[in-house]
Amino acid sequence: MRVAVHRPFTIGEVELKSRLLLGTAQYPSPDVMVRAIEASRCEVITVSLRRQNAAGGGGEGFWDIIRGLGLHVLPNTAGCRTVQEAITVANMGRELFDTSWVKLELIGDDYTLQPDPIALIEATKVLAEDGFEVLPYMTEDLVVARRLVDAGCRVLMPWGAPIGSGQGILNPYALRTLRSRLPDMTLLVDAGLGRPSQAAEAMEMGFDGILLNSAVALAQDPVLMAKAFSRAIEAGRQGFEAGLIPSREMGVPSTPTLGTPFWQQQAAGKEEGS
Amino acid sequence: MSLTVAIVGSGLLGRMLGVQLDRAGYSVSLFDRDQKDGRGSCSYVAAGMLAPTCELDSSEAEIGEMGQRSLRQWPRFLEKLPSKVFFQEQGSLVVAHRLDRGELSLLQGRVRGRIHDESLIRNVSGKELGELEPDLEDRFSEGLFFPREGQVDNRGLLQVLTETILSRGLEWISGVAVDQISPGEISFGGEKRRFDWVVDCRGLGAKTDIPELRGVRGELIRVSAPEVSIRRPVRILHPRYSIYLVPRPENVVVIGATSIESEDLSPISIQSTMELLSAAYAVHPGFAEARVLETIVGCRPSFPDHRPRMYYQQGLMRLNGLYRHGFLIAPWVVEMACHALKQGEPSAEARELGLVF
Repeated sequence: MRVAVHRPFTIGEVELKSRLLLGTAQYPSPDVMVRAIEASRCEVITVSLRRQNAAGGGGEGFWDIIRGLGLHVLPNTAGCRTVQEAITVANMGRELFDTSWVKLELIGDDYTLQPDPIALIEATKVLAEDGFEVLPYMTEDLVVARRLVDAGCRVLMPWGAPIGSGQGILNPYALRTLRSRLPDMTLLVDAGLGRPSQAAEAMEMGFDGILLNSAVALAQDPVLMAKAFSRAIEAGRQGFEAGLIPSREMGVPSTPTLGTPFWQQQAAGKEEGS
Repeated sequence: MSLTVAIVGSGLLGRMLGVQLDRAGYSVSLFDRDQKDGRGSCSYVAAGMLAPTCELDSSEAEIGEMGQRSLRQWPRFLEKLPSKVFFQEQGSLVVAHRLDRGELSLLQGRVRGRIHDESLIRNVSGKELGELEPDLEDRFSEGLFFPREGQVDNRGLLQVLTETILSRGLEWISGVAVDQISPGEISFGGEKRRFDWVVDCRGLGAKTDIPELRGVRGELIRVSAPEVSIRRPVRILHPRYSIYLVPRPENVVVIGATSIESEDLSPISIQSTMELLSAAYAVHPGFAEARVLETIVGCRPSFPDHRPRMYYQQGLMRLNGLYRHGFLIAPWVVEMACHALKQGEPSAEARELGLVF
């Protein structure tokens, strides 16, 4: 199965130019956050509702800043541990930002923040039925991925490594498998990336986009880091679209030796010998 | 005749400024919607940390500079008060458990990138940590020591400031909200009064005039922990939170604080309670038998860049948005405010550090 190389990047019905989705937590200040988002030129930002007392409307100051950016908002259910909790928060997000999109995050383990695949599938079914465009944050498990597709997902977001760990892609084999077995799905790597090169690596594998937060927000210069990731993601994508050469066991000279004048070879030989 | 000044908002900044201006010969009147005990002010909730270097983890270099200058001014300011206020400058510590050691280097990287003076931060081994805080010996394998940091007892200071203001005979109208502020004039409860200067020192109350201000909720827990003897503030890092344990006289330890994008002032949540208390317990098992004295919630008045602002025009000066840096930078902000009133314009220093907006 081949992954279609030149195809638009869409979430739901929305076609996007930027393949970077940026989180809005942990920045030194909202001002730095806004500048980082602008520098990244991303079109989708994800917002955590769980700890902001969204229900009481207490976070209005911050929500106004988010809305003021005029970008697509992807509310997330970060910190939720049960299906019911996630559904409640998803509904809050729909109301607050007038969107059917939701990044579904259901934590199954507190230290690794590994998503709970069983609860994830269950919550996805309920939310998809209710008209949500569910973007599930998941492990790299192929069978879970299939079940999520069956439940109605059009986008899947496997982790690269645990959230905030900055370890990069821990299981390239599984991610490649996902990519090749689900060639038509929109696949984003969400979480665990620490370096721009790791984002480029995921994009070279044919992933459609990257969702990031900590690597940018906690950098010494979040604005510059946002720019760096944005470029790495573009570079990785272009590399994928351009067609990577396969790696080989032996060296193949980039300049054919055939036709090289003999005196050059001699000179080279001499230099080495001297 | 001396110049008349109305200070609207008598939290930490309003009180300190009131005392300084009174000493400088101005005729000062204080106004506040809260009571004189200061319980409605976010300075009442604060931990009183004076950590200008460690704070650079999430603040720009200018905040650190304001904090350093304030740290030098604190002893002088406190000395002149009629009663003693608990103040300490023995440094502060940052520790992390083995699994979270990455957080230490992350913090260190960000802080070192914003300071020029290398002596402000020191890496310490587990053994050195034990020498500084015997109770923490063998509990951590490494940490960071910030020798020039300290703390001030926030509530003690508010109380002594109250006494000072009352004993100096300043006019202080409390429990009444000021409806309108304009150059040289304020109105409250249907009454208008004219002053030479109006100074707006309100916290979130200034939101009606400055819509950019927003509240950032903070939750703290005060415990009595006789089995724990730490001498200086200790910050514990974890990938998802960073919590201070601030030891106060008589075995009291202030544990805080959360930082939540919300203006909700309802009581502390279970989740925050668990995070704060388990962080404390993870630092020292002696916290198991500590007694919870109080949980407190406040909202830090904040601008989008988390920096304080001075708005200056003839007859009206505003000093707002001290965020979580109130105690850290108040003496310097007060000095800048006094200078601006005296000279008729903000100082070059206030402009250089970006206070003047």
